[in-house]
Amino acid sequence: MIKYHPEQSQLTQFVQGNISPAEALIVSAHCDLCHRCRQFVQHQTQLIAAEVFDTPQPKDSLENYGAMLAAITQLPASETAPAAPDNKLNLSTPEPIATSTLVKTLELDGHQFTLPPTLQRIAAKTGNWSGLVGRLWQAPVELNYPGVANFIYMGRGGSVPEHTHRGVEYTLVLDGEFNDGINHYRTGDFVVMTDDNTHAPHSEHREGCLVFTLLDEPLHFTSGIARLLNPFSHLFFR
Amino acid sequence: MLVGIPVEQSNSVIKPKDCAAEMSDYIVKVAEQRCKASFAKVFGYFAPRLRSYALKQMGNEALAMEMVQDTMSNVWQKAHLFNAEKGSPSTWIFTIARNIRFDMLRKLQNRKEDICSDDLWPVLCEQTPDANEQSLDEQITLEQIGFMFEDLPLKQKSVIEAIYIDGKSQQEVADELHIPLGTVKSRTRLALQRLKGMLQDHD
Repeated sequence: MIKYHPEQSQLTQFVQGNISPAEALIVSAHCDLCHRCRQFVQHQTQLIAAEVFDTPQPKDSLENYGAMLAAITQLPASETAPAAPDNKLNLSTPEPIATSTLVKTLELDGHQFTLPPTLQRIAAKTGNWSGLVGRLWQAPVELNYPGVANFIYMGRGGSVPEHTHRGVEYTLVLDGEFNDGINHYRTGDFVVMTDDNTHAPHSEHREGCLVFTLLDEPLHFTSGIARLLNPFSHLFFR
Repeated sequence: MLVGIPVEQSNSVIKPKDCAAEMSDYIVKVAEQRCKASFAKVFGYFAPRLRSYALKQMGNEALAMEMVQDTMSNVWQKAHLFNAEKGSPSTWIFTIARNIRFDMLRKLQNRKEDICSDDLWPVLCEQTPDANEQSLDEQITLEQIGFMFEDLPLKQKSVIEAIYIDGKSQQEVADELHIPLGTVKSRTRLALQRLKGMLQDHD
């Protein structure tokens, strides 16, 4: 049973397209796993769609659209459309074509994990897994837009040293359970940590715990000695 | 130069709630027969309304029109994915528009990043508000990084400096210092490991 969800205001902003692409990614991935939030988003989408389209014809003349209409109808129909927002997957935010190769599962430590559809679109850009301290593995995911994304796997008994956060850290539990001394999280839970929170996650779950984490819009250092920080920015912004 | 097709003005009294079935039929015809006349009906209804919404949201005429064009292109090209049993045409088209919106945001952010990380204009990058708005905390961190860097063994320091600060390639550094490429690589690796260790201890 999923206990931790995005705030309704965040879901609503997602529906309106008013959150950052990185936030949209993890909110959408949560909705893949969470029936309740998926229903909420679908309902909100119906409401706002009606609000946008149940309107009188705008005054601007349709003459301006002739060339656009002509250009569009020149286009071929797309045969296969992996990034298409069909009605079933209509929460997923399609990634640019180049990154839309689907990767359905992650394999790690003899376990196979099925990814939520939204993450399947970006998992092709997953870097190598590296072992960190305390039965912890981490693999970065390249996003092509601001935000630092990682898959993190805590083996049974694995832990992350106590830390606080810079900015906002989102964590989505993909498989297994972990406890951070404040709460106990299970598959599908959506965890938000800010610089007010200090926590020390650890997993005692038999199968360990796989999570997807996202640090929204970290500073990107561009010049001088600060460029040294870039290879480690995940240590600063975790 | 494309010749414009006249767009049919839809009756402004009809709301999509009332004409959802009609619009669904048009989309199905687009999917099955590539019917341009049917698409023109759908386009005539949705494009102007989408434009006024996009304009309100983005406050920019060019971006709003880009959104309309990309969204309606998707409707034309992916009409076969529409399923009337699962939702109204309005909801389907709005969902496509939202995805296009996130696509555009990604591209915009990506462009910003490209310009800023471009070494051609390091001065411009220094002047971006982000750089000026560094909190005291981050400034201290930068200073601390400076100290850690100074603590590196001389050989590692010169390699790191050449690669990360001067932006040279590993091969260039090898040629300059008259050492094998493998040595440059191992020194880089060792230095980064060491810095990482120092950062972790520091936490």
